[in-house]
Amino acid sequence: MPGIWILAEHKEGKFKKITYELLSLGKKLKSKSGEELCALLLGSGIENLANQLGPYGADKVYYLEDEVYKSYLNESYTQGISELVKSQDPSILLAGATALGKDLFPRVAARLGTGLGTDCTSIDLDNNLLKITRPIYAGKVLMEATIPQTKPQMAMLRPNLIEISPVDSSKKAEVIKSKANPKKEDLRTMLKEILKGESKKIDLTEAKIIVSGGRGMKDKENFRILEELADAFGEGTAVGASRAAVDSGFAPHDIQVGQTGKVVNPTLYIACGISGSIQHLAGMSTSKYIVAINKDPEAPIFQKADYGIVGDLFQVVPLLTQEVKKLKSEG
Amino acid sequence: MEITREIFWNIGNVRILIYLLGLVPIIVLAFGLWRKIKLWKIGKKENRYDQIWKRIKTTLYYGILQVRTLEKKYPGIMHLLLFWGFVILFLGTLLIAFQEDVTLPFFNFNFFHGGFYLSYSFLLDLFGLLAIVGVLLALYRRIFLRPESLDNKSDDFFALYWFLVVLVTGYIVEGLRIAATKPDFERWSFAGWQLASWISFLNLSTDSLKTLHRINWWIHALLSFGFIGYLVYSKFLHIFSSPLSIYFRTFDPIGMIRPIPDLENQETFGVSKLEEFTWKDLLDTDACTKCGRCQDNCPAWQSSKPLSPKKVILDMKNHLVEKGGLLLQKKQLSPEKNLIGDVILEDELWACTTCGACMRVCPVLIEHIPKIVEMRRNLVLMQSRFPSEVSLFFKNLENNYNPWAIGFATRADWAKDLKVRLFSENKDIEYLYYVGCAGSFDERAKKISRALVNILNQTGVNFGILGTEEFCCGDHARRIGNEYLAQILIQQNIETFKKYNIKKVIVSCPHGYNIFKNEYPLSGYNLEVIHHSELIYDLIKKGKVSLGRTLDTPVTYHDSCYLGRYNEMYETPRRILKALCSDLKEMERSRYQGFCCGAGGGRMWMEEKLGVRINQMRVEQAQKTGAGIIATACPYCLTMLSDGIKEKEIKNLQAYDLAELVELSLHK
Repeated sequence: MPGIWILAEHKEGKFKKITYELLSLGKKLKSKSGEELCALLLGSGIENLANQLGPYGADKVYYLEDEVYKSYLNESYTQGISELVKSQDPSILLAGATALGKDLFPRVAARLGTGLGTDCTSIDLDNNLLKITRPIYAGKVLMEATIPQTKPQMAMLRPNLIEISPVDSSKKAEVIKSKANPKKEDLRTMLKEILKGESKKIDLTEAKIIVSGGRGMKDKENFRILEELADAFGEGTAVGASRAAVDSGFAPHDIQVGQTGKVVNPTLYIACGISGSIQHLAGMSTSKYIVAINKDPEAPIFQKADYGIVGDLFQVVPLLTQEVKKLKSEG
Repeated sequence: MEITREIFWNIGNVRILIYLLGLVPIIVLAFGLWRKIKLWKIGKKENRYDQIWKRIKTTLYYGILQVRTLEKKYPGIMHLLLFWGFVILFLGTLLIAFQEDVTLPFFNFNFFHGGFYLSYSFLLDLFGLLAIVGVLLALYRRIFLRPESLDNKSDDFFALYWFLVVLVTGYIVEGLRIAATKPDFERWSFAGWQLASWISFLNLSTDSLKTLHRINWWIHALLSFGFIGYLVYSKFLHIFSSPLSIYFRTFDPIGMIRPIPDLENQETFGVSKLEEFTWKDLLDTDACTKCGRCQDNCPAWQSSKPLSPKKVILDMKNHLVEKGGLLLQKKQLSPEKNLIGDVILEDELWACTTCGACMRVCPVLIEHIPKIVEMRRNLVLMQSRFPSEVSLFFKNLENNYNPWAIGFATRADWAKDLKVRLFSENKDIEYLYYVGCAGSFDERAKKISRALVNILNQTGVNFGILGTEEFCCGDHARRIGNEYLAQILIQQNIETFKKYNIKKVIVSCPHGYNIFKNEYPLSGYNLEVIHHSELIYDLIKKGKVSLGRTLDTPVTYHDSCYLGRYNEMYETPRRILKALCSDLKEMERSRYQGFCCGAGGGRMWMEEKLGVRINQMRVEQAQKTGAGIIATACPYCLTMLSDGIKEKEIKNLQAYDLAELVELSLHK
């Protein structure tokens, strides 16, 4: 009884967007091959989550339940998934090219002795084989490939590329709960505790909007006005800093953007009091829109910026915050 | 009375006994040295046996004349006194033995009398005194001056006191003998004579003088013999090991890193175990005299980072004693100690800016940087362990051949509105201007490239650039330890150089200058390499550029390590600056003692989390001179210094490249 399987990724009681994207992709593949679409869910005490996947297109949900699956661990997940795959023999196995997917699927593929299309920007079906498209040479070229020799066909899809198809709230998926029997004695690593970093906000690399401050912020306290602007933008916004600001002690190192900090890629990057040294540009120049606020019209950041405001950031940023709040309240 | 003295006067017929006694420490010494040589030979093979004449000359220069040791006055003179004092005393003693055991018994020839005896006595008394002055200077330094560079362990003092007792008992023996025999000609043994006159105040009987003489004679003899045995097991091993390390020195320029040969067929890279070092590396650890000059000049140590070159060498030395002995017995250290991690910390290795100050000041020519880079190579190529921020640097070099994530296709964009020819579009070009990554992409460094292009165009130099065919030179990658990546970049550049048959290259970055000049030949490409300061100075000399003293503020020059220590170019940049300003100030640390900006050895691409920031220290040193401009000749130095000025909020100090200052003067 072959099928199209997708790995349902979840965190803190919620599915990640990639799960719905994979189901949407799965529906498309199902329309070609006619095989059933199944979600693979690992965890402990999350029956409620298992029941949520039907409306997104899942026919079946294989729910592997055990205490060891409560938090993701490469070894235990690999063990559970490959055992189940061996017994159920699906023809296709998909996951997101997320941090988790990239960690897990290569190992699963090796365990199953099959090929794996990594980091795909599109996945299609051709003669029951996955036809994958993936960028190579740092995105300079797109490559199309199939891996005809092995089964199951495995691939990983980049997040944020597929539109989620309409939800059919009447559809229900059959939940097949299998009390997994993980061989705990084979596991060499154990997760004891997850320690959170200093920054309370969302991770910079995941933020859609970043408000960033440089040496021009003059003081640690002044980062407050950047926080206010970020709060006005709302969810998905994070505060960053340049190396100069971090070195001066204005901001912690884990929010540093640049060559020796984080490389970010948000939709909107607002650089406040950042001159735009090449070390900083190396970390943010691929942002979709760059707004620069700086007193010095000669600052190199203006050469990279889509919009530049020459002025005192301590006047400009609060005004910007007000305007954003106004626009948001107007809906 | 014949002018001579009786050998073994007052001692009796102890000749055989003395030789037997003397044999013991000599056997101990020989065994000790033999064992040391066996320990050094644990290291891998390396050919340092060529160029014998050059090696002998270098040993005379650094070993006998002690030119490096004398670069620091106090300890230099102190050491020279000790050295020559003991050399002359030792030769003098040998000479007596030569007469007594060779010329006298076999040829019945006695030269130890008359004028020879008198000058001999005078000379030995003089050099003995000089040695005592040396010991006292050393003690004064260790007890009162206590420089940070010295460890001051108890065996340092033990050795000095030993010296002192040997020397002083020598004079007492002489003084007692003269006091007892009173020959007038012994005035020539001026120190012993003076001592004898003081002893005669004590009004001792001849018998008591003789008894005292005998006691002191034996103390002197036994301590001298003991010293010979003690040599190998103390810091005095350096009497043997340091001349060896000098003799077997590398003739490579300071800081030069040789490519890993036949990279593709190697199975391990770099050094992770003691026995993977070469025998010369291991010899170096025993050649170290703990003088601490390396650490005095090390920017990492001076900025409170965990690296001290001296500590690295001494930690290796202790590891050699501990593990080497077991290896010779085919045993393993238990528990095993990792060379990297237990003996030398990763933080130490990553703190190195490869500035070369340690190697430049080491009196015995120890080669620190190649060892550090070999260990980095192992970390990077075998263990994939390096500061996390470096992975982005590697990735960018792999994808776009520059350290920043900027598309390689835009490499020539800086020159778009300038009159610059491309090799791909023109034949007949004489000079390649290799712009380098900073000069191509960094807004600040692009100003240097533009200034230089203006100078070149104004003076009619026939030059061109490679544009998008130019790749990173590979210097930073090599020094971080990613030899694989470095060789890819080097090979690609060499292919391009070959394609256009490039013979002369102008470089505005000392990192490119150094690797092209010293390391590309080892990968198979020789070319004439010209740094822009050499070129500008040449243009001035030829009268093609006339500079006015346009800078009305005092200027100080920051030596780039890769131009200065690596390639000994100290004066050319200064000559240009002297043409531009009337007041060229020197920082306390300059020329061969110049203080690194903090960016070398790939440090540019790492966070500086430990200690004080090196660039901030450097701009403060510049500030002290009262200069308004800090001039440099390296784009990375320029970045570090500019950042330092901003970070320390120093008003009235600005950093410029030489080329910018020259171009400014041309416009006026």
